[in-house]
Amino acid sequence: MSIDGATLLALCKDALAAAGEGEVEIFAREAERGFARFAFGELGQHMQLIEPQATVRVAHGARVAEVATTRLDRDALVGAIRDAAAAARLVPETEGFAGFAGSDEATGASPPRFVDATANASAEDRVERLAPVLASVRDAGLVSAGFLETARAASCVATTRGCARKHDGTTATFKVWALETPGAGGAAGYGGQVHRDLRALDLRAETDRAIGVCKRSRDPISLDAGSYDVVMEPEAVSELLEWLASTTFAAPEVEQGTSAVAGRASERVTGEAITISEDPLVDGDFGLAAPFDREGVWRRRVPLIVRGVAREVLFDRTYAARMRARSTGSSVLPEFGASGGIGACALTVDGGSAKSVDELIAGVDRGLYVCRLHYVNGLLDPRRAVMTGLTRDGCFLIEKGKIARAVGNMRFTDSFLEGLARCDAMTSARAAVPTWWSGGGACVAPAVRMRAFRFNGKSQERAKL
Amino acid sequence: MKLGPFDDLALDAALRAGIDALRRVPDVRYAEVRFVDETSERLRVRDGRPEQVATSGSRGVGVRVLGAKTWGFACTPDTSEAGVVQAALAAARIARASAAIVTRAVPFPELGAAVGTYATRVAVDPFAVPLETKLGALDAPVRALRSGGAKIQSAEAWMEWTRVHKHLVTTEGTDTKQSFTYGACGMHVFAVNDAGDAQRRSYPTWQGGDGFQAGYERIGALDLMGNAERTRDEAIALLSAPPCPTGPRDLLLESSQVGLQIHESCGHPTELDRAMGSEISLAGGSFMQPELLGKLRYGSDKVTLVADATTDGGNGTFGWDDEGIAAGARPLVENGRFVDYLSSRETAAALGRASTGTMRAESWNRTPLIRMVNVSLEPREGTLEEIVADTKDGVLMATDKSWSIDDLRLNFQFSCEIAWEIKNGKRTRMLRDPFYTGITPEFWRSCDAVAGKDEWKLWGITSCGKGDPMQIMHVGHGASPARFRNVSIGTSGAAR
Repeated sequence: MSIDGATLLALCKDALAAAGEGEVEIFAREAERGFARFAFGELGQHMQLIEPQATVRVAHGARVAEVATTRLDRDALVGAIRDAAAAARLVPETEGFAGFAGSDEATGASPPRFVDATANASAEDRVERLAPVLASVRDAGLVSAGFLETARAASCVATTRGCARKHDGTTATFKVWALETPGAGGAAGYGGQVHRDLRALDLRAETDRAIGVCKRSRDPISLDAGSYDVVMEPEAVSELLEWLASTTFAAPEVEQGTSAVAGRASERVTGEAITISEDPLVDGDFGLAAPFDREGVWRRRVPLIVRGVAREVLFDRTYAARMRARSTGSSVLPEFGASGGIGACALTVDGGSAKSVDELIAGVDRGLYVCRLHYVNGLLDPRRAVMTGLTRDGCFLIEKGKIARAVGNMRFTDSFLEGLARCDAMTSARAAVPTWWSGGGACVAPAVRMRAFRFNGKSQERAKL
Repeated sequence: MKLGPFDDLALDAALRAGIDALRRVPDVRYAEVRFVDETSERLRVRDGRPEQVATSGSRGVGVRVLGAKTWGFACTPDTSEAGVVQAALAAARIARASAAIVTRAVPFPELGAAVGTYATRVAVDPFAVPLETKLGALDAPVRALRSGGAKIQSAEAWMEWTRVHKHLVTTEGTDTKQSFTYGACGMHVFAVNDAGDAQRRSYPTWQGGDGFQAGYERIGALDLMGNAERTRDEAIALLSAPPCPTGPRDLLLESSQVGLQIHESCGHPTELDRAMGSEISLAGGSFMQPELLGKLRYGSDKVTLVADATTDGGNGTFGWDDEGIAAGARPLVENGRFVDYLSSRETAAALGRASTGTMRAESWNRTPLIRMVNVSLEPREGTLEEIVADTKDGVLMATDKSWSIDDLRLNFQFSCEIAWEIKNGKRTRMLRDPFYTGITPEFWRSCDAVAGKDEWKLWGITSCGKGDPMQIMHVGHGASPARFRNVSIGTSGAAR
């Protein structure tokens, strides 16, 4: 039986009362994920996952300790509060600790995030929707891989200062590949979509997209390294955007001086065409994020770069107090081996005026059309947002404004911010791109055209081994 | 050492009830019920203040069922008999639902039962060491790192401890109880100059520090304090160091960077599920395809890479994997020749081979995947200094900074925190922002020197990601410093 946000909140309030500690915050979340993962044309990993977690923080003055548990019952939460209280007495003070959120925290209207059709999807429902996907890739003489996930999550924040938030959300994510070989390389195409409503996913269209790109990717030529004008699909832009966010926009990176915007507030850091925001409360098709963060702070739209100029960065309550700012509702829990802290959950890039990707391609005399990127890393020189990575699932040579033919995968190494400074066109249409680690979030980006993007290598065909 | 939750008779009965329930389901060919109880502690001190003092507990049961054609997986935090049986039947139902669109039944040869216990050797229980002691062990080196003047912008040290109790029972009668104690510790410092250039220097390496399977006794051996001054001074010196030159050079890598190179260019591509296409949705395929087994000249004859799940203290060490296969040691590359895969019972059967025992799941609520164990480069002879003395024109790089490799694990590019120029057998000036790039088999074929066992060190990676949903795993890599001829190198930093 699934738990909802209201029940979770009642449980946390009960535990707060029972524990009797003075300053406590509980963030609790339980996600249920139906995850149907297919590869080499077969459904091989179909999983029903449950992810319960309550994270308790207790403060004694500015001494703060945290205890987390996967047991969501009263006894476990009271035990976690007492364990955290015992630890908090032993730790040094946290400079800038501002106390936990109270009843006076600003609030707003909860955006729609929950859809019954997604929440109630069964294993049989996922199988039924995937059947034509696998069949159509097979009928095209190709091999399929990917997944369909339907997830629901309840979350809440309760503090002894009277902050009480609850949220229920759903996410449906579909990713599909059409491949020439199951795992040995060759032509490949990708399609993918994320939405809170399973019924809004167009599996057929995304599968057709993947098949189309794969077929066009056959018989690639090998191009030399060098600078190329490049047109990137939203999937490729989003991968760079995620790295930019992780190295650039959080207060700790700004404080330690490694961020590309450290000491550059109100300065031009990229092209005038570029506006990047954190937009968690967005409504419509792109709305996925919970409206409050793990500290119970109501989220808001945060302009990060406006027309090329560095504006705000992301704060939690402690860094905001320390750096004399206001929390942006950006406190996040540890994920993917990271220690947690401050992060974006709903990055968006404003679109441009181009009516289509073809219009962007038409403005390139000789360049590359890149569908996706692979294994991007943004730690080379974060001060300049230098990143490296490779093309994947569709890279094409553009000649005289048209796609000429497929190109083998290329490696780029360039500053994303400097590349965006050479961006001269973007599509008005944007897409929500699921984050690459399938964490349920998305970036919203248009397709972009950047001049003279630097490619410094290429992959090698297996036949040449 | 006590086995903790394994003493719980009710839990034991619940796990067996789950298996018994699945034995009664006609279309279940095989099933495993896996209980996991995990406790972890993360401590992080930054610039003299505690950035993170956190402990967490996670406890539940995962059930994987092989039905008539394919797998189903379900899990529960409810470890009662009713909870486990409900999860078991849910997994069977998912396997049955999935079978409707599966064309080929999963091959899965039967095996005999594995029974036994395993526990990490721990001299000092890290969870029994007072919190103040552990925070003090981090605070002192951070203060030492911060003492370098105005150019030092930030310093941080961290320590992580994880204890995992895992009890696996299967329909084949397997019954293994294992207790793991993992640790990791490290520090880094950022120096920034007036122009805004930033340099990071880490010890003993980047990405979670040095990971291991042992107790608190390992912290003293790391000697953070003894390495703080050098680490700090190198960060400051890098600010004014010239950039790494560009072009082909002989490349020397210190031990931890060889470990990272093994991880990305040998460990991942020899995962047989990846080679067969199971990992396309996250990380891609592999150039090391089955038809190349025994034929591919992967590296020079100096290169022997062994997957060893029995190495004492390794992050990838265990007694049995999550399919009940006993830990073993097997070469993946022998004197340069590609000879074996990291595999599972299902994937190995597809090649007519036996599993190499590498299936592990991150937690109770994740399905097992093929994961690296300790994949290590066998030592040869000599020392790093002897290799330096034997190098006319080269660069020595140390401590990984960034990592990227293509979806077949061929084209890689790694940048390091620091490098030194080598001229006529001598280490000369420091170089900043170095990177090197290459194609995996060309790179390993260019390896003409691997230092001996005195400089061989087993490194632990704590954040290896794989799978959808992403799973993080502890893996190990042992290596000595090594030399690679005529490698393409460059700089990722801005011109000054």
